[in-house]
Amino acid sequence: MNCKQFQEVLPYIIETGGNPEEEEHLRSCQACSDLVNELQYIAEQAKLLLPMHDPHPRVWSNVEQSLQREGLIREGRTPRLGHLAVITEAAPRRAWTPLGLGMATAAVLALAMVLVNFPARQPGVLQGSKGVSAAVQQPATQFEGEDKALLGEISQHRPEVSSAYQDSLGQINSYIADAQKAVDADPADANAHALLMDAYDQKAMLYEMGTVRSLD
Amino acid sequence: MTQAKKIIATGLSEAEAIERAKGGDAEAFEGLYGLHKRRVYSLCLRMTGNTAEAEDLTQEAFLQLYRKIATFRGESAFSTWLHRLAVNVVLMHLRKKGLPEVSLDEALEPQHEDGPKKDIGARDNVLAGSIDRVNLGRAIESLPPGYRIIFVLHDIEGYEHNEIAEMMGCSIGNSKSQLHKARMKLRDLLKLSRAEKAARH
Repeated sequence: MNCKQFQEVLPYIIETGGNPEEEEHLRSCQACSDLVNELQYIAEQAKLLLPMHDPHPRVWSNVEQSLQREGLIREGRTPRLGHLAVITEAAPRRAWTPLGLGMATAAVLALAMVLVNFPARQPGVLQGSKGVSAAVQQPATQFEGEDKALLGEISQHRPEVSSAYQDSLGQINSYIADAQKAVDADPADANAHALLMDAYDQKAMLYEMGTVRSLD
Repeated sequence: MTQAKKIIATGLSEAEAIERAKGGDAEAFEGLYGLHKRRVYSLCLRMTGNTAEAEDLTQEAFLQLYRKIATFRGESAFSTWLHRLAVNVVLMHLRKKGLPEVSLDEALEPQHEDGPKKDIGARDNVLAGSIDRVNLGRAIESLPPGYRIIFVLHDIEGYEHNEIAEMMGCSIGNSKSQLHKARMKLRDLLKLSRAEKAARH
């Protein structure tokens, strides 16, 4: 089998494996082996792409208005963003100054989806969403400073969600590093700056949620 | 307080919020919107490559969610169910626009102008280990629409080829072929980007 023949069947065997002849070619051909490695690497990196963008607030406004027009909700019944009444069931929030709430907010909605499936003090299995792999498994020992302190508090107060926080924090730190690299490579790139700010925003949200959860 | 934090702060589980939303509780629905808006919007944006379209489709997806939430039985995870609903909204929209159809003949006779480039010979410019997600995201945005849709559905959102084939109305072989072309195109774009950066420095 030559490279041309191998690469023609590659789309159909890359995930499932080929017949002995195809596998032998892959073992013996550096060029095809590199190609397969690169394509698989691209696919693996794609799985780690977190949802990064929030829709404009007008999207919710339009949803609200449509539902009111259809008579599915009453006008004025749904509070607008940022003007919500005090949630009566909420536990009183205590200040937790050591972590300095207000860092940034970012890819935390994935974590939020995990958290809302954990009623207080119940162990459970994380519900992974389709397409999201185990992602970056940054060992706890690689976190420093405030990240380490946050994870320490969470593992003390809410051990059942500690792993999820660790995963999310690792992913966010990785995003920040990637975005910072892009900014460093081209300081005039406004899009890279926006991505970096967004990544920091997500980290702030993670901290804020971690604080709320740990104060049960 | 943000919509997502509402659900968390009230101690409502997502399951409780869903049940309340089924009963017409608009605040519970708003909380669900807050939890899932980013993922739905990101999906719409990645598949369409257009902010305005993505916003319209996100809106439509959540309107459909509100109308259909009573039918959610919990047989799958809510996020999975909502996600599938959003994908269908996007695909229906793209079909109305004239979604680039995957050629039924393509599996038999790959088109030469956009077939995979044959890597025969010298080993050069190895990519593995050097991609950062910012550049990957940009490269995905610049994929041709047909390639981008399949790539987003399979490699980012995790749908299997049989599911994609059913959604797109094509064969499993075509789905695999298109995915391969998408990955090859991304490989070329990423290598080009890396070469351009190296040339600048």
